[in-house]
Amino acid sequence: MDVSLFQQIPQFVVSGLTHGSIYALIALGFCMVQNATGIVNFAQGDFVMLGALMAGTLLKKLGVPMAAALAGAVLFGALCGLALERGPLRHARHRHVLVLVMITVGVSISVRGASMLVWGKNVHALPPLGRETPIMVGSAAIVPQVLWIIGLSLLILGLLYAFYRHTLLGKAMRAAADNPYGAVLMGISVPKVTALAFGMAGSMGALAGTLIAPLTSMSYSGGLMLGLKGFSAAILGGYGSAMGAVFGGYVLGLLESFGAGFLSSAYKDAFAFIILLAVLFVRPAGLFGSERVRRL
Amino acid sequence: MRSLPLVPKAWKPLLCLAISLGLTAFLLPNDYFFVLFNIMALNALVVLGLNLLIGCAGQISLGHGAFFGLGAYSSAIVTTQLHWPLWAGLAVALAVTALFGIALAVPTLRLEGHYLVMATLGFNIIVSIGLNQMEPLTGGPSGLAAIPGMHLGPWALDTDRRFFFFAWSVFLAVFAGVLNLEDSRIGRALKAIHDKELTARTLGVPTPRYKVQVFTLSAMLAGLAGFSYAHYMTFISPSTFDIFYSVQVITMVVVGGLGSLWGGLAGTVILTSLRELLHAMEDFQVLVYGLLLTLSLVFFPQGLLPAALNAFWRAGHRTPSRSMSGPSSPKDDARSIYGSGFRALSPSTRKPDSSKAKNIGETPVLRVANLSVQFGGLQALAHVSFSVHSGEIVAVIGPNGAGKTTLLNAVSGLVRFTEGHVAVRDVDVSRRPAHEVARTGVGRTFQAVQIFEHLTVLENLMVGMHHFGRSRFLQAMAHTLKERREEKELRRRAMELLEETPLAALAHEPAATLSLFQQKLLEMLRALAMEPAVLLLDEPVGGCSPNESRALMDWIATHQRVGMGMVLVEHDMNIVMAYATRVVVLHHGRVLAEGAPLAIQKDPRVIEAYLGRGRRGAGQP
Repeated sequence: MDVSLFQQIPQFVVSGLTHGSIYALIALGFCMVQNATGIVNFAQGDFVMLGALMAGTLLKKLGVPMAAALAGAVLFGALCGLALERGPLRHARHRHVLVLVMITVGVSISVRGASMLVWGKNVHALPPLGRETPIMVGSAAIVPQVLWIIGLSLLILGLLYAFYRHTLLGKAMRAAADNPYGAVLMGISVPKVTALAFGMAGSMGALAGTLIAPLTSMSYSGGLMLGLKGFSAAILGGYGSAMGAVFGGYVLGLLESFGAGFLSSAYKDAFAFIILLAVLFVRPAGLFGSERVRRL
Repeated sequence: MRSLPLVPKAWKPLLCLAISLGLTAFLLPNDYFFVLFNIMALNALVVLGLNLLIGCAGQISLGHGAFFGLGAYSSAIVTTQLHWPLWAGLAVALAVTALFGIALAVPTLRLEGHYLVMATLGFNIIVSIGLNQMEPLTGGPSGLAAIPGMHLGPWALDTDRRFFFFAWSVFLAVFAGVLNLEDSRIGRALKAIHDKELTARTLGVPTPRYKVQVFTLSAMLAGLAGFSYAHYMTFISPSTFDIFYSVQVITMVVVGGLGSLWGGLAGTVILTSLRELLHAMEDFQVLVYGLLLTLSLVFFPQGLLPAALNAFWRAGHRTPSRSMSGPSSPKDDARSIYGSGFRALSPSTRKPDSSKAKNIGETPVLRVANLSVQFGGLQALAHVSFSVHSGEIVAVIGPNGAGKTTLLNAVSGLVRFTEGHVAVRDVDVSRRPAHEVARTGVGRTFQAVQIFEHLTVLENLMVGMHHFGRSRFLQAMAHTLKERREEKELRRRAMELLEETPLAALAHEPAATLSLFQQKLLEMLRALAMEPAVLLLDEPVGGCSPNESRALMDWIATHQRVGMGMVLVEHDMNIVMAYATRVVVLHHGRVLAEGAPLAIQKDPRVIEAYLGRGRRGAGQP
């Protein structure tokens, strides 16, 4: 028993990194919205679900080629993010943060309800990218999709890093997040930057959905759990820190995969939330975040 | 009627509700409607708890489904598997929900609002998974059956009709209690916390404890509802207590109006009935709840029901809005302060030092020793020492960024200091939480005025008197005679304080309608209401006209005669020179000079700090 468990360690690592990449993408979406508006976007998980289901529809019902279906799904996610910001959130923008957060909860539930009507209650699958036959590395079997997931997410993370550090627009977004009033004075259009953040968060979520769906399949209610795990990852890394979100995503993925393997697979889904509560208990600023000073 | 315990001030609508419920019982045609009403009563209990949490403490929980479930399961488990009596089941249900409530609240309530939303949501998921997976204990996904039915002593509440009376009586009693709580010293403090938490702390309100208590109370109400549900249905399964239930009750709260207790009841009635109507088209249920939640938050933030009532009201009467007809202009107030016996000599004609020195006491009311504050790598304050004697006004001056406000924050317990001691009336308050420092005798005002805008002028003052009261949550809910007497006394004292000020006529106006000058006055009155040993004034006349400034300062200075010590942070040198008995000059977080105003004015080091040294110093960073 023990020996076989130890033999599975490489498998756990691969699985942890795979899910970790997905959590990292979702956590980044949370992070972007947090930095642009200071609110937690509960609908982030539903972008994931919408991306996966939309890609499936484009691929199977409309016969669009794979790459175009993925691009379409990502675009759809971006539009959904924009719609959320342009619609209910912009309409209520002067309300208390808590009300805005609850609006995203309401949107999340509505999206879930609407998706149930559109796509039904069944589970939908997506064909994987590349071949289906696993590659054996030592004792671990790696499905090509896993490599796609890890590779694509690392690429996106790298691009984002470059975007935030080295482009004017990226710097404007960071400035608007840091001090919206100051950003306005510098001629940055905060509403545009906010909309862009939501659009990017939406596409990031949709991408995560299209990447994970071939492995786990997706249903109308699947976004909730993924979204919350992404949030846990963001909290773990330090809420609002992009580096932290990525790191938190991978740590959470690995913890979850090892926890399920060594402790109990029945409670696999609970680990993320136990970690979430533990972080909030012990170090609310997360691993990378800094304690925010409240001012009068 | 109003003198009886447990009877709230607004007993008439409550009585109407009770009577109409009693009549309803005879009008309901069949058991199906009784079931609907019974579920409604239990939902209403959960919503009541949530509303208390939101309306008073400004926190939202998305995990009340879990508390509902914990209450149901813990009682069901001990009564079926251990064969404990029903009352023990109730006790266990309340204890379990209270324990989980505290465990969840203590760490998360330190954080800002939306963390609690996430933490409670995560908690709800963990509980759902636990209920599904712990099969030996909970029966797993197929649930627990054969739970003993509800009974009150020898009376079995085994029919839907009998349970109707039980459930609604419990609800009405709890409702009365929560209405009482809202209308008490604790309720005021909770509203103050919702409005401006840090300010409430500096007035002696133990905010962390209250927040934990209100969250625990709210969790226990859900637990009570869960207990009743389990023994009413005699069968429970985990799917009843998942996140969707939490979302449903939140939607009820939102539709009824966040924090409005009566609105919450209406929201419960509407949405519980809606759920039954939607039963036929179950697939639409999720969408409808989601849209209701979103739309009412976006378009009717005060709730669908209050919005409808407002529209109805406006159609009926066309009255001018309240803010238009309210307070007089600030100039009049300045004059009325002069006219009401507060007039002192104008600064130019008074002889500062001789008149001021008289009443200064022997022992210091505030002693700051060797105080250092560090923000990361920045040394904001370094080894600051000074003391304030009773009857003394010590001005703290210094260029911007010298650390004046940081000093006040450190003294009042809002900023942690790395080194040093602060003693109030010889009691060491170093590193004590802000509310304890306040209770020891430190009152303060803020650079940017901090009043509780949702409370009336009188209520603002009564928050300042919070630490004089003794009644706690349970006494407040029961509205005991003692609590009532205390409340009356606090009210009388607050009125007395208001009497000779221009705010007397505005006692029952919402504080948000006051002018800046009036708000400054109210903030000072509120600090005085604490009867502090030392009063910290952070730019008390900033933003006021010269006339207003003098009026305000003359009036506040009268309090030094009764032995209060004051720390005055002010930029206006005329004010400092006219009113201070001593001046402490801060520069780069250090005490540069200390002494009588006239001496400070001539001190070359002070002049240098303010105006610079000329060419030689200019080149240095």
